Amino acid sequence: MSVLILALAIILAVMSLVQKNTVPAVIAFVSMMFLLGVYYILLGEKLLGLFQIFVYTGGIVVLTLFGVTVIGSKFPEFKIRPWAVSVVTIVIIGLLIVPFLIPDIPIEGKVIPLKDQVKIFTDFYSLIAIFMGVVAASILYGSIRMLHTLKYGKE
Amino acid sequence: MVGFYLDAIAALILFGVGLYGVTSKSDFLKIFFSLEMLLNSVILLLASAAYHFGLTKGLAIAYVIIVIATLEAAAGVLIFILTNRITGEIIPDNLNKAVEDE
Repeated sequence: MSVLILALAIILAVMSLVQKNTVPAVIAFVSMMFLLGVYYILLGEKLLGLFQIFVYTGGIVVLTLFGVTVIGSKFPEFKIRPWAVSVVTIVIIGLLIVPFLIPDIPIEGKVIPLKDQVKIFTDFYSLIAIFMGVVAASILYGSIRMLHTLKYGKE
Repeated sequence: MVGFYLDAIAALILFGVGLYGVTSKSDFLKIFFSLEMLLNSVILLLASAAYHFGLTKGLAIAYVIIVIATLEAAAGVLIFILTNRITGEIIPDNLNKAVEDE
């Protein structure tokens, strides 16, 4: 069941990027977020799952659809960037290989179990995700101010 | 244990799809979708760690990530509406040129 949900979520994620029309892309995105919310509920994290469903399929998608009404129903044509595929391939292969390259660190003669290795991720590395999110939000806010100044500052 | 690896692989694939979207797509809406996918891959990994290993501290971080994603969504929609007003399209590459032309 979980394999099915995760596979479907990944397929929908790809579909949302491949679609040429805006509304099917938004629908695929909503479905992916809804499936992830259902998966969190199946994992026993009801609050996180409901939060995910309410915030993403409720709030963010309404905002996005409002934006879609402004930009029209079709995505503009864009230049293909072939280097993007190679960058992603290198990063993914690197992320897959690195855990096997790093040997298990013995402390006092014992190898660190997987639970403690994951604890390092939840305690430290996930904070980096928050930091990066705040940085991204700051850059977005700065871009809005810049666009507003460029648009109305000259008039 | 197998379940955690399954979730980790799914999160990695989702991260890869999001990274591909951020680096290859050139309109605001798809870049925004890709950013959300990047954040959701981290949330998936945190939820899986909480379920399989009982590390509930990650869940608190997941809630914060969702809140930040919401703020990003609001800011992102504002950006592509403003860009659409200035340039008539939602491609960020052409923004500098359009502003210089004004």
